[in-house]
Amino acid sequence: MSVAELKERHIAATATVNSLRERLKQKQQLLVDTDVAAYGRSQGRSAISFVSTDLVCCRTLQGHTGKVYSLDWTPEKNRIVSASQDGRLIVWNALTSQKTHAIKLQCPWVVTCAFAPNGQSVACGGLNSACSIFNLNSQVDRDGNIPVSQILTGHKGYVYSCQYVPDQETRLITSSGDQTCILWDVTTGQRISVFGGEFPSGHTADVLSVSINSSNSNMFVSGSCDTTARLWDTRIASRAVRTYHGHQGEVNTVKLFPDGQRFGTGSNDSTCRLYDMRTGHQLQVYSQQHDGDDNDIPTVTSIAFSISGRLLFAGYSSGACYVWDTLLAEVILNLGELQNSHEGCISCLGLSSDGSALCTGSWDKKLKIWAFGGQRRVI
Amino acid sequence: MQANRAEATPVIGRSAPAPSDTKGKHRISAEVKRLEQESRSLEEELQQLEKTEKLSAGLQEFLLKVESIPDPLLPETTGPANTSWDRWFEGPQDTQGCRCWIL
Repeated sequence: MSVAELKERHIAATATVNSLRERLKQKQQLLVDTDVAAYGRSQGRSAISFVSTDLVCCRTLQGHTGKVYSLDWTPEKNRIVSASQDGRLIVWNALTSQKTHAIKLQCPWVVTCAFAPNGQSVACGGLNSACSIFNLNSQVDRDGNIPVSQILTGHKGYVYSCQYVPDQETRLITSSGDQTCILWDVTTGQRISVFGGEFPSGHTADVLSVSINSSNSNMFVSGSCDTTARLWDTRIASRAVRTYHGHQGEVNTVKLFPDGQRFGTGSNDSTCRLYDMRTGHQLQVYSQQHDGDDNDIPTVTSIAFSISGRLLFAGYSSGACYVWDTLLAEVILNLGELQNSHEGCISCLGLSSDGSALCTGSWDKKLKIWAFGGQRRVI
Repeated sequence: MQANRAEATPVIGRSAPAPSDTKGKHRISAEVKRLEQESRSLEEELQQLEKTEKLSAGLQEFLLKVESIPDPLLPETTGPANTSWDRWFEGPQDTQGCRCWIL
């Protein structure tokens, strides 16, 4: 086939794809007969109501000397690992505020960290395009540092996000600026599967975030600068199961909903969204007017759901941390305006495994623990 | 320009195509394959949509599920509560904690 004929075929194929995308979009729209908030209101639900002393900052974790970029809790309640611009990981006992480990990294440009399910190891990744693993029980070297126990190399771009597969100490998923996600065997350091890249239906820009389904750890969601989120089955690396459209800007963060059937996203378009994994429906948009300059629209940097999913916590580049009523799509509190809050952009947040505490990390170099300190009614 | 030159040259006795022609052809061919694969995926998605229920169909179950799970961060929640939820407010609270700076 000549180049000219190939070019004709290319034009035709592009037109077909565009037409199919448009038909898909229209058909999907016909099925969107409501959203979560409208349905909730029609069923007589009203938004959760907090008084200002309900959610309180009960711990401030100080020790980093640079912006905090990432944090992760252990499954066993109280410990947190954080990664910072200062080139260190710190492991904290959040209950006592004590630091149990401080790991100086060979590559200081770390942007993500994760705790292994057994709480014995931590992983981190960043601008060296690799993911490093540290065993917290290792003997320290002569400089007092924990030596790296494994380095996962293979990405051709920055590692933006990493997460251990729940209940599997030896499996980890990373996402990267090379537009792929990789499932790793941590013991051997080998890549098990690559999601995207040369295969069609992969992301077409940097992949900034992953979230693994704890109800079914074969499934994970990724969020990307290509404005989409994608669902993957770790057993089928060759194509994404589904692609979720809607955001008008880069998807910075994705998080599985507690029921394992839905997931949330946060984006540069300043909105969070809730999607149904199976049907692909965009169930709800969480969008709020922000104070300040119209030209300075804050981006959503990180999200987390409370253990029931009723609350959606969203950190913004403005320093706001909105607490959304997920079912009514209303902001019911801004942690950023509370006493003792952060003094900068909220870059990361996460819930403890029992859902009793939220940890926020900020460019103000601190982490804060928030819990419910009001009068709780149990029905 | 290169395409015109290729087409103007007779097939028999034609000299080997320039490396850049071959590279461009491979690139376009790969891109066409990718687009055709995407077409197939989109058609499968369209077919799946025929069997997909409306958004409202799953919402009642969704609402009830969320409301049935005990949540320590809510002012009002279904039980059972767990006493360890309030461990953050127990004992002497050093809210500023360990302030040593890691150097």
